[in-house]
Amino acid sequence: MINLLIVLFGVTMLYMASSSRIMAQINMLKIQGVLLCLITLISHSEANILGVLFLLAETFAAKAVLIPWFLTKVAVKNNIKRDSNPQFPNFYTLVIATFILFAGFLIASIHSDYLVNISNMYFGISIATIITSFLFIAIKKKLITHIIGFAMLENGIFLLSLSVAKEMPWIVNIGVLLDVFIAVFILGLLVGEIGSIYENPEVGQLCNLKDFEGEEHE
Amino acid sequence: MNSYFLLDGLNIFFTLILFFVTAAVTIYQGKKDFKYYIIFLLFVLSMLGAMWSNHLGLTWVFVEATTLTSAYLILKHNDKNSLEATWKYVFLCSIGISLAFVGIILLLIASEGVNSLFFTDLYRNAHLINPFWLKLSFIFTLIGFGTKVGLAPVHSWLPDAHAEAPSPISAMLSATLLNSAFLVIIRLNKLMQFAGVGESAKKLMLIMGFLSLFVTAVYLFRIANYKRMLAYSSIENMGIITIGVAFGGFGTVAAAIHLAAHSLIKSSFFLTSGSVLKLYNTKEIAEVHGIIERDKLTGWLWVICGALIVAIPPSPLFISELLIILQMFINKHFWLLALFTILLTVIMYGIIRAVIKTAFGKDLTPPETKIKLGVTKYLPQIILIGITVLLGLYCPQEIWTLIIGAAIWM
Repeated sequence: MINLLIVLFGVTMLYMASSSRIMAQINMLKIQGVLLCLITLISHSEANILGVLFLLAETFAAKAVLIPWFLTKVAVKNNIKRDSNPQFPNFYTLVIATFILFAGFLIASIHSDYLVNISNMYFGISIATIITSFLFIAIKKKLITHIIGFAMLENGIFLLSLSVAKEMPWIVNIGVLLDVFIAVFILGLLVGEIGSIYENPEVGQLCNLKDFEGEEHE
Repeated sequence: MNSYFLLDGLNIFFTLILFFVTAAVTIYQGKKDFKYYIIFLLFVLSMLGAMWSNHLGLTWVFVEATTLTSAYLILKHNDKNSLEATWKYVFLCSIGISLAFVGIILLLIASEGVNSLFFTDLYRNAHLINPFWLKLSFIFTLIGFGTKVGLAPVHSWLPDAHAEAPSPISAMLSATLLNSAFLVIIRLNKLMQFAGVGESAKKLMLIMGFLSLFVTAVYLFRIANYKRMLAYSSIENMGIITIGVAFGGFGTVAAAIHLAAHSLIKSSFFLTSGSVLKLYNTKEIAEVHGIIERDKLTGWLWVICGALIVAIPPSPLFISELLIILQMFINKHFWLLALFTILLTVIMYGIIRAVIKTAFGKDLTPPETKIKLGVTKYLPQIILIGITVLLGLYCPQEIWTLIIGAAIWM
């Protein structure tokens, strides 16, 4: 069951890498949030029921509801529908992401002395997600897709933290989720502010600050 | 039962620096609105949390909180450039800190026998930690927290944010924020030493330290903006401190001296740059002439800060750099020693050239009405510089105890 959920998580990552529609990417973030919640629910063996419930509620609230809701709001407000001209065609991104996912499965199938303390499947897929989210951030042009990439990176790291048999104290988990949420919130607000200066905020426009006079940026 | 917060020789030292710089900056910036001060205090509080935390996970939470709280302070001008700087700052630091979290998870995997992220537990049971995973974890945490410290090659947010933030905030970023993130690197380096893989940590830290010096030397050679110059100088000094910690021995004492002196000098330099900006309304070095003629005290503060930051005696930075050179000599790293001195000389040339060009000579564009600065625009820098010069000339036993107390933990 858990393996199925993790594989589904990997598939959402592939879909995100290949899609250029912002709303589709945000919907995938929602699905990832729900999947992470289910994985946490099934895999947790901690005696502290209250702590687990709290973590579940917070993961669901932050990852499946609040962050996607806020990103939708930013996208609608700034009238951003798709990242139509990425630096790289979407098809190639899909091919590369597929290879990364495949490498993730390979890692998952390794039986090494070094990998005794972790669940292989979690480890492989989460590493694949983290690498794909970096690829995602590097090739997309719109600022909002960069935030979506950041949220995806955080989801990958969350999955990685579940791969370890031991858990973080709940106070740390809460702090981490809160920080991530506020980071997305501030970045979303900045997209709005930058959108009021540039009509269609893209990373290429953020190159005013430079060291030497006369230096040209693409 | 471990405590989440703990005071030791190291973080008391960092806290004292934070206290002095925050006090000076508060006097300098004077009256601001209520919301500003609330966020400013939250920023200071998150740095304190990061310094005092005894749990690596909690430290991460506080370090990320410093990014989030300072974002508003950098954005204060709310123009095109500060928006760009804030975006880069929040985005790059958040990504960097996320990598550090990956490192923390890898440390959890490494410390199977310890089952705790409390520094006290990790140090006590360092021999139980798996060296392979620990080394992997250190790479991620060094790059992650190194982003926040502004070590090359992950420094690119730093010049933009320092240059575009209001000058008092630039002073806080450079003199306190970088330290609070660096404290985590020091603690993890110590863990690597206890676990018997200190050599790997040393190599990585030396690479990042020397890269920082190299990047600064290249950019400072023909820098056009004086606030960016100060920002690059922060990258350089954090690089020097990293090199000191990596070498160990006298290097750690040097790192402690350098850390304190850099914070005091750089914060007064940034505060003075705020006064220069007020007097000239430009950050371009080419457009600023004769600061001494326009405002004598600001001009001389500018010159003294410039001289102290490039380690001209009686700057304590002279002593710390000499100690690092001595340690390199003892370790017989002659090539590194040569590289270190050459890079420092290039950086010294870049800064001194800019300071002389802007401070001396005739004021080519005198304003119609003379701008008068209040006493609070001079006093904090005079006090900070006074303390620094005094410490450079004579260091009382109590201060030595503090420095050695911090160096032992490095």
